[in-house]
Order: sequence, then C-alpha cells, then structure tokens
Amino acid sequence: MSSALLWILVPLALGVALLFYSRQDAFPGLLASLTCLFLSLAAWQLPLDVVMQLGPFTVEIAPSFIMLGRSFTLGEAQTPLLAFIYLLEAFWLLGAFFAKPGRLFVPISLICVGLLVASLAVEPFLYAALLIAVAAMLIIPLMVPPGSRPGPGVQRFLKYQIFAVPFILFTGWILSGVEASPGNLDLVLRAGLLLALGFTFLLALFPFHSWVPLLAKECHPYVFGFLVFFLPSIALIFGLGFFDRYAWLRDGNFAYPLVVWAGALATLLAGLWVAAERHPVRMFAFAAMANIGFGLQAVGLGGVQSAQVFFALWLPQALAMWVWATALGAIGSDQLPGRVSDSPSIPSTHPGLAASLLLAAFSLAGLPALGGFPGRLALLDGIAAVSPLAAVATLAGSLGLLIGALRMLVQLMPREQGGRQKWTEEAEVDKPPSHRIQMTGLYAWVLLAISAVGLVGFGVLPQLFLSSVPGMAAMFTQLLP
Amino acid sequence: MENTPLGFLILALLVANCLALLLSRDWRWSLAALGAQYLLAFFLVSVYWPLELAAVKLVGGWMATAILGMSYLNMAEQPDESAGFPRSRGFLGLAAGLVIIIVVGAAPALAAWGRQFTGSEAWGGLLLIGLGVIQVGLGSRIFRIILGLLTLLAGFEILYASVETSILVAGLLAIVNLGISLIGSYLLLAPGMEPRS
Repeated sequence: MSSALLWILVPLALGVALLFYSRQDAFPGLLASLTCLFLSLAAWQLPLDVVMQLGPFTVEIAPSFIMLGRSFTLGEAQTPLLAFIYLLEAFWLLGAFFAKPGRLFVPISLICVGLLVASLAVEPFLYAALLIAVAAMLIIPLMVPPGSRPGPGVQRFLKYQIFAVPFILFTGWILSGVEASPGNLDLVLRAGLLLALGFTFLLALFPFHSWVPLLAKECHPYVFGFLVFFLPSIALIFGLGFFDRYAWLRDGNFAYPLVVWAGALATLLAGLWVAAERHPVRMFAFAAMANIGFGLQAVGLGGVQSAQVFFALWLPQALAMWVWATALGAIGSDQLPGRVSDSPSIPSTHPGLAASLLLAAFSLAGLPALGGFPGRLALLDGIAAVSPLAAVATLAGSLGLLIGALRMLVQLMPREQGGRQKWTEEAEVDKPPSHRIQMTGLYAWVLLAISAVGLVGFGVLPQLFLSSVPGMAAMFTQLLP
Repeated sequence: MENTPLGFLILALLVANCLALLLSRDWRWSLAALGAQYLLAFFLVSVYWPLELAAVKLVGGWMATAILGMSYLNMAEQPDESAGFPRSRGFLGLAAGLVIIIVVGAAPALAAWGRQFTGSEAWGGLLLIGLGVIQVGLGSRIFRIILGLLTLLAGFEILYASVETSILVAGLLAIVNLGISLIGSYLLLAPGMEPRS
C-alpha cells in the first residue's frame, strides 16, 4: 500500500461513492467524519516505509505512488500537515450537521480535500495548479444549488481560478531555464512576473479579489467558509513550495519583498473593508482575505521563519474560520440580516452562536490571549525587521479587523429601547418557539465550548497548542537552516 | 509545421474559425466552431506529441463540446444574446482585429525567445488565448464565458504541448476541459432545476 492511496484515493473514492447516496440522513456525514478522523490518526501515528505486523498480515506504507509516469509522494515530512488537514476536514464535516450547507457538501468537500492533498503530493509539484483548479470547479455546484441562478461572484471565481492555471504551468517551463542559467535576469523577470500573476488570481489578491465579497452573499456561508479557507491555504503551502525548491527565488533580492508587500496590501485593504462593512457574511469574506494577506507575509519572511510563522498563523486561523462559518451557517442565510445592527434577536435566540462569532472575530483580529495573537506577534516582529512600512500596513489591517469585531460586539449587545431591552422582549414574544429551542441547542454550546477551549488555548498556551508547528514546517527542508 | 503550406492553411482556418466562434449568436454555430477549433488545435499539437496522445485533446475537446450541446438540447429555446455594445458584431470584430495585430507582433518574438515553438504554434496558441480572453471578458452569459475559457485553454495547450509531453498533464488538462464544460452545463441548467428541500 502507498501513502497516496491511503490519503488521496480513500477520500476520493468515499466522496464519489457518497455522491450516489441520496437519502437525507446523517450516515454520509458520520461515515466521512470518522474516515477523516481515522486518516488524521493514521497520519499522526503510522510510520511510513516500515513493515508493520497486523495480526497475520504485514503492511508497509510506501511513500510514493507512480501514476502515468509521474509520482505522488507523501513522506514522513508531510504527515503532520496531513494529520491536521484531515482533522480540519472532520471538523468541517461535523459542523455541516449544524450549519446544513446541503446534502452534497459531505461528498464534494471530501473529494476536494482529496484533490488538494494530491496537489501537495504530485511531482513535479507545479502540476498542483491543475489539481487545485479541478477542486475549485468541484465546489461550484455547492455554491449554486439547483433552482438558483449563478451570480457574478461564481462566474468571476471560475474565470480567475482557470486563469491561474496557464500562468503557473508556464512558470514551470521558464523556471527550468532559470535553473540552468540563474544569472539570466530576463528569464528571472519573466518567471517572477508569471508566477506573481498566477498567484494573484489563485489567492484572490488585489485587484482580482472582487469575487470574494460577491460570492459571500451568493452562496451558503458554510460553503463559502470552506472555500476561502481550504483553497487559499493549500495555494499558500504550494507557494511556500516554490521558495523551498528554487534556490534562485530564495537567494534573489526581489521575491521576498514582493511577497511581503503583496501580503501587506491585501491585509491593509481587507482590514479597511472589514472596518467599514456591516453585513456579517461580507465581513467574514474580508476577514478571509486578510488571512490570505497574513499568510502571504509569513511566506515572505524567508528562511525557516517563514514556514514556522505561516503554520503558527494557520492553525488558529483554521479554527476561527471554521467557528465563524459554522455560526453563520447555523444562524442561516435567510435569517442573516443585511446589517448586524438590524438583528437584535441574534444574541437572544442564538447566544452560543453569537459568542462563538465574537470569539472567532476577535481571534482573527489578533486580540491578546486569543488564538491569532502569538502568530500575529511573530509575524509583525519578523515583518518589522524586513520592512517597517509593511509592518505598519499589517498593523493597520489588524486594527481594521479589530474595529470590525468591536462593531460586531456593540451591535450584538442588548440595547435599551424605551425603558426595556428590545431584544429580550423580541425573544420572548415575537419569535416563534423554534428559535427559543435553538437558544438551548446543544450544538451551539458545543461549538462555543470548542471555540473557547481552542481559541483561548492557542492564545494562552501556545507552547502546547502550537507544538506541532516545527513538525509541519519541517516538510520544507530547504527553508530549514 | 513552420512556413509550410499546410501550416499556413491551418492558421488561416483557425483565424476564420475563431472569428465564427466569436461572432456567432446561435449556439449551434458556436458549438460547431468550437468542435472545429479542437480539430485544428489537434493538428498543431500533433507536431510535438505522439498521435495517440494528441488525440486525447481532440476527444476531450469534442466531449466538452458535446456536453454543452446536450445541455442546450435539454433547455427551452433561449432568446438571442443582446446585439448591443459590447456584444455587437462590429465591436467584437474590432477587438478580434486588435488581437490579431498583437499576435502578429508577438508570435515571432515568442517563437524566437522560446525556441521550442515554431511560428505556427506560437501564432495559433496566442490567437486562441487572445480571443478566449475577449470572449470571457465581454461575455455576459455563462455559455459565452465557458466558450471563452475553453478557447483560452486550447490556446494554452497548443503552446504547452511543445514544452511538456507528460501523459499525466495531458490527462489533467483533459479533465480540466471536461470539468469546465460540465460546470458550464450545470450552471446553464441549474436555474430550471427543481430546488431540493
């Protein structure tokens, strides 16, 4: 057996099989979640390339799998990342019970994660662009459910993801020339330009970011959250791979500052938009864009620091994004108001969800004692050493996120209106009983407990919660000292 | 295929075909032009690739065309696209003319710089990429956007074939083409589908 079969083919096959399961019950979600937990545990515990005795059977998991003349390799170095990817997918699958993004979410998300893992495994690694494009296309049926018309956000998303493919694949061809003659500035410039354009499309960087806020309003918040977390995360890890593999990129004096500044611009703009935004889902969309900016800046730090800071940011971001998307999905698109201020009933009918939303928003803003803080501090420290101006832009972006989170807090607070607390009255009198049932809904409190333990844990006990970061960063062997 | 009569003939047919694809408003003519485009792209790709591998692109492209055609057959007759700006034939023709002028200038430079390409492949690839971008940029309907994306990828594949002969890449690009077509088909049909409870 090979690792690619276990961590790529198993989720793909299960996802395809579950597409044909048409009954609307919990079976597909439970089966897929348990499979992902098993895959996560296997990545964490199973040794690769070692013969194991399982009763009468001997099993050996080979790290490589050859398909059509190319190899898919998942070695020991990748297993910590694999463990987290499948753990996160299990979280997203379990959250789907609560957020209800539709029957197809379970199989399609499983297939997407399988493809994204394949994109991390394929050699030559540039082919990852094709696998990421296939995964991006697969999510589209989730965004446009039957009976609805595709909006401009979906159209732009499709266009930009496909546009990214030629740029990245052509870069590979030019890079082979650059490796042969690294002193050829003309080649280096062309390769850098193509690569920058490819990643600008792939990561929805300014000015190709417009699909993000549009799509946020067009599709289910949970599906949107899954998309804006997994796709950019894998694309950023793919981007780190470029620096890991190409010495001329690491040694050149233009690549790291360019990436840092692209990230700073993304963070600054997203932060400003979050601060000015009132729609809760669009706020989430801009926060996701800010995360991409932070990740990009971490990549631009260079050396071992880049991978470590990237994963230190990524883990709490993953939890916060999941919590935010689950809470928005559970509140329901139909109940989501145009503005948070129009929704005095949310904290009364969904207190657990409102608290989870706030925790996630403050964590993504980098508030001390919450998950985002240790990674953000390390990032700012590193960026300030490289470019103080970029650090100021990053800080301003973080401030925008904080203002957005504070605005959410203020607007979710109960307000006195004419001597009585309007939201309380509404909760007791105006709302149908089903809303009050959700008030004590077990799922909401479980979500709050997970977000509180996880996000506060990442912030207060980073040595414990972020202990896996060096192991994950070790997959980029050339970035290590 | 550079500077051979066959090369010039294929390029001339490709230009005519691309203009037909860009300017036609009837979906039947558009799909016929798309099918012909894949045949011409196949001739250009077969210079570098073994015939059986180049045939993957032809079959994949024709399958993508068939998927879109089947979707249209299952839909109620759609009203014609607006003939106003920017979808008027005059404006599209002008835009196509600009692309051709740019390609005339850029293709020899690309061929000289890249070395792997001959003039015909650089010409054909850049032409399809340019006209695909115009279709994607100016198309307001899903159908036009899908045709544009398929055209753009076909152009890219002509160029990429000269630098990459991997079977896996050929397969993945065929999957991407089919995926675009399937997604386009789904997006065309989704508004008329029964919403799930």
